[in-house]
Amino acid sequence: MLNVANAERSEQADHAALITLVETIEALSATRTIEDVAAVVRSAARRISGADGVCFVLRDGDLCWYLDEDAIGPMWKGQRFPMTACISGWAMIHGQTVVIPDIYLDDRIPHDAYRPTFVKSLVMTPVRAKDPIAAIGAYWAVGQTPSVDTVMKLEAMARATAAAIENANLYASLNEALERRTFLLRELDHRVKNTLASVQSIARQTLRTAPSPADFAESFESRLMGLSRAHELLTRRAWGRTDLRDVLEAALQPFGGLADPRFSARGPAISLTAETAVALHMTLHELMVNAAKHGALTAASGQVTVVWRIEEVEGVRNLVLEWVERGGPPVFVPKRQGFGTKLLERGVARDLGGEAKLTYQPKGLTYWLRAPLSDRIVAGPIARTPE
Amino acid sequence: MTAHPPRIMIVEDEALVALMVEDLLTDFGCEISGSFGAVDDALAYLKDAVAPPPALDGAVLDVNIGGTMVFPVAERLRAAGIPFVFATGYGALPRQGFEDVKVLNKPINPVLLKDAVEAFGKAA
Repeated sequence: MLNVANAERSEQADHAALITLVETIEALSATRTIEDVAAVVRSAARRISGADGVCFVLRDGDLCWYLDEDAIGPMWKGQRFPMTACISGWAMIHGQTVVIPDIYLDDRIPHDAYRPTFVKSLVMTPVRAKDPIAAIGAYWAVGQTPSVDTVMKLEAMARATAAAIENANLYASLNEALERRTFLLRELDHRVKNTLASVQSIARQTLRTAPSPADFAESFESRLMGLSRAHELLTRRAWGRTDLRDVLEAALQPFGGLADPRFSARGPAISLTAETAVALHMTLHELMVNAAKHGALTAASGQVTVVWRIEEVEGVRNLVLEWVERGGPPVFVPKRQGFGTKLLERGVARDLGGEAKLTYQPKGLTYWLRAPLSDRIVAGPIARTPE
Repeated sequence: MTAHPPRIMIVEDEALVALMVEDLLTDFGCEISGSFGAVDDALAYLKDAVAPPPALDGAVLDVNIGGTMVFPVAERLRAAGIPFVFATGYGALPRQGFEDVKVLNKPINPVLLKDAVEAFGKAA
């Protein structure tokens, strides 16, 4: 009689455990974060296994992180142990469920860590068979061999947990990608509007000093092409930093770049922000166009030397860049100041808090630029930050 | 109308845009009292320019000045009772405390800039 009653009660308990298991799998499928997953596992694992305590353990590099627990007495919640020094680590490393009827007879168990607890027997099952990411532990206060049925239920829950964790990770990376996309679109909008404002400025100011519509079209388009080449260079650098020499190379490209024997360039590695690279490119473009129209590049024997260096003035380190033309026709001070001159003297120097000077000597034009080093101008090669 | 041409300050980190705004304002009959590419430079200038009698009738401020927000300049101008407008490529940038300030989008519509500058004169 007693046995029949016990069997009935056990059958009812099994049935309740199965219902809980199904409900838990449903709940796990709706979780969106690791914390939600841990909360569901914590609240259901004891009912499903009939154990006196359960732990949810996350793999954290070489450590097992006892994220959450639900038990009759305190266990290891919040603690981290090396993978090689605890049973959850063993289960994760081997990708196997461990059943231990008597923990003090098993040398995989760190006995010191268990002595203060109620635990006598346990089942530890890894979450995700291949490359486990977590483990679920069930613990009993009375020494026993947990049933095959209990182990199977815990393993079923572990499989659902693995899927839930992967979902949570996917969900997090999707959210991150969406946020990044929104951010990039906003940045793009800002950049396009600023570029359009630059084009607006170039158009208005080119018009102001253009003697004829044909002259306007030629100068405006030349500047537009210059701006476009600067953007091309920066897009190749993913709008990160650019080396000064590459900016010079891009600006001189209509003349074949630095390979043209009329150019010579020397100076140390200087890393520039994208905005500074654009401004400097505009400057070098103006110089090149002017040299091609009136200066050293009108003559086959003309020479353009570009040198740059770091100079310290009153404790402040500066970039000093010089553009020196020789071998062209005699140079005269222009009668009126065009947009090109204005841009050279007030453009990049104003942007960088430095100064610039154009000198018209008969033997050739010289442009001198000084700008203090800052985040925008850094001496040395571009630091490659791993992303 | 004021006896002298309106004196306007510009804070704008992009020289190309600054040069254009200077030209536009000059065309509108204004005088450029100062044109700055950095917040610190603008603040240093304001130390003298807003002392009574102010040598300034208004300002055109870009919002993001090489990564630094222009708001300290805006606060000083407000404290001195000098009107100003923002000119920015950031459409919906948060401007807490300055929701009432007129915003000109970039590229700048010269007609709207002219209206804004004329409104400075009326406010003064």
